[in-house]
Amino acid sequence: MKKLKNGHELFVQKSKRRKVKIVAIQLVLLVFLIALWEIAARLYWIDSFITSSPSRIIKMLGELGSQGLWTHIWTTLYECIIGFIVSTVLGCAIAVLLWWSDFLRRVLEPYIVVLNSLPKIALGPIIIIWVGAGAKAIVMMTVLICIIVTIISALNGLLATDEGKILLLRSMGASKWQILTKLVLPGAVPTFLSVLKINVGLAWVGTIMGEYLVSGAGLGYLIIYGGQVFKLDLVMTSTVILCFLAAIMYFAVALAERLLRRK
Amino acid sequence: MEILKMDNVSLTYQTVESETKAIENLSLVVEDGEFIALVGPSGCGKTTILSLASGLIKPTGGTVTLMGKVVDRPSADTGYMLQRDMLFEWRTIERNVLLGPEIRRSLDAERRAEAEELLKKYGLWEFRKHYPNQLSGGMRQRAALIRTLALWPKLLLLDEPFSALDFQTRLSVCNDVHKIIKSEKKTALLVTHDISEAVSLADKIVVLSQRPATVKSTFTIDLDAPTPLKRRESAGFTKWFDTVWKEVSV
Repeated sequence: MKKLKNGHELFVQKSKRRKVKIVAIQLVLLVFLIALWEIAARLYWIDSFITSSPSRIIKMLGELGSQGLWTHIWTTLYECIIGFIVSTVLGCAIAVLLWWSDFLRRVLEPYIVVLNSLPKIALGPIIIIWVGAGAKAIVMMTVLICIIVTIISALNGLLATDEGKILLLRSMGASKWQILTKLVLPGAVPTFLSVLKINVGLAWVGTIMGEYLVSGAGLGYLIIYGGQVFKLDLVMTSTVILCFLAAIMYFAVALAERLLRRK
Repeated sequence: MEILKMDNVSLTYQTVESETKAIENLSLVVEDGEFIALVGPSGCGKTTILSLASGLIKPTGGTVTLMGKVVDRPSADTGYMLQRDMLFEWRTIERNVLLGPEIRRSLDAERRAEAEELLKKYGLWEFRKHYPNQLSGGMRQRAALIRTLALWPKLLLLDEPFSALDFQTRLSVCNDVHKIIKSEKKTALLVTHDISEAVSLADKIVVLSQRPATVKSTFTIDLDAPTPLKRRESAGFTKWFDTVWKEVSV
C-alpha cells in the first residue's frame, strides 16, 4: 500500500513539475520576444519608425497617461461590456423563445441563416444613419455581430435536451414551463457558458470594428488615428492595451465558468 | 380490484406519408398487485401501450381506464420508468428522487420523509448527496425506481428498464427491483423483449402479435420461487421460456 502511495505521489509531483515548466517557458518566451524586438530596434535591424519598440511603447504609454488614456480605455471597455451583456442576454432570451415555439422557429430559420452569413460590417452605414454616430452605433455593431451566433449556439444547446428526459417529465404531468425550467435550462448551462466565451471574443471584434467606422474616442479610434498619421507607436501601444483587456475579460469569464461548474 | 383496464383499444399514427395502425382492438386488464409482462416481436407497439396507459397519448378507439377513471392525461397514479435511468446530472440523488413531487407541487415534509425512508430501505441513503455520475449503473437504476415510487403510484409502467445494463448488473438489479415492487405491494406492467426476463419476473405474460398489436395469448406463470434469480434456477423455467418463445416467434 505504501509503495502504491509513493507511486501516486511521484505522479503528482511529475505533473506539477510539468505545469511549472510550461508556465516558466511561456514567460521566458514572452520576455525573449520583447527583448528581441527591443534589441532589433536598437541595433537598427528593423526600422522602429514602422515597427515601434517596447521602449517606445512604454514612452507612449507615459505620454498617453496625461492625455486621457483612461478615457479611451474606459470608452472601449464600456462599449464592449454593454454590447456583450445585451447580445448575450437578448440572444439567449430569443433562443428560449424559439425553443418554446416550434412554429416560430421554422418561420424564422431562413432569416437567421441569412443574417448569420451576412458580413455585419456591411450594415455599418445603415447603423450610423439609423442610430447616429457615437457609442450607440458601436454597441449596435457589437450586438449585431454577437447576437446571431448566440441565438444559434444557445438554441442548439436547448434543442439537444434528451427526449427521454422530456418524456419522463411529461409522464409526471409537467407543464411546458416546468420542462423548460427544471430540465432544458439547467441542462443547457454548459452551452450557455461556452456561448459566453465565444461572445467575449466577438464583442471585441464588434467594438473595434464599430470604432473603426465611427468614433471620437476609444482604443479602436486611437489605432485608426495612429495609422492615418503614421504614428505606429500609438497603434502598437493601443494594440498592446487591447491585448491586456481582452485577456482580462476572457479570464473573468473563464473564472465565472469554473465557479458555476463547481456548483 | 382492476387497476388498469384497456377495452378494445386502437391507435393509429398519422404522418404526412401514411397512416400506421400501431394497435388494434387490444383488451387488457391489470389486477391489483399483479406483475404483468408484455412481450412481443420488436416494433410491435409495446411502448405505445405504456404511453396509452400513462396518458401521454390518447387512443383513437376504445377506452383506457385507471381504477374506473378514463385516462386522458398523465396522472400521479401511474409511474413511468424508462429504459435509461434519466437521472438529471446536475441534481443530487436526493433531489432526483424528489423530482416527481416537485413537478406535482406536492413536495412537503411528509413526502420528504417518505422518500428518505425509501432511500434508507434500498441502500441509497449514504449516496443521497452524490451526483448520478458518481454511482454505478445498478445503483442509478435503483435511484430511478425510487424516483418513480416517490409519487406513490398505483401502477408502475416499466419500459425495458434493464436493457441498458450489462448482463451481470441486469440480473441483480432485476432482483432488487422485483423485491422493491413486491415489498411495496405495487402493481406493475413491464414491457420487454427479453423472454427470460419476463418469465423470471412476471405473474402473467401477455404475448402480443405483430403490428398492429393485439393480445395473442396470456400465460399465468406458476413458478413457485421467491426471487427472479431463484426462478431462473427452478425446474419449470426452461419449459415456460420455450412456450413463450414459440408463441412470440410464430
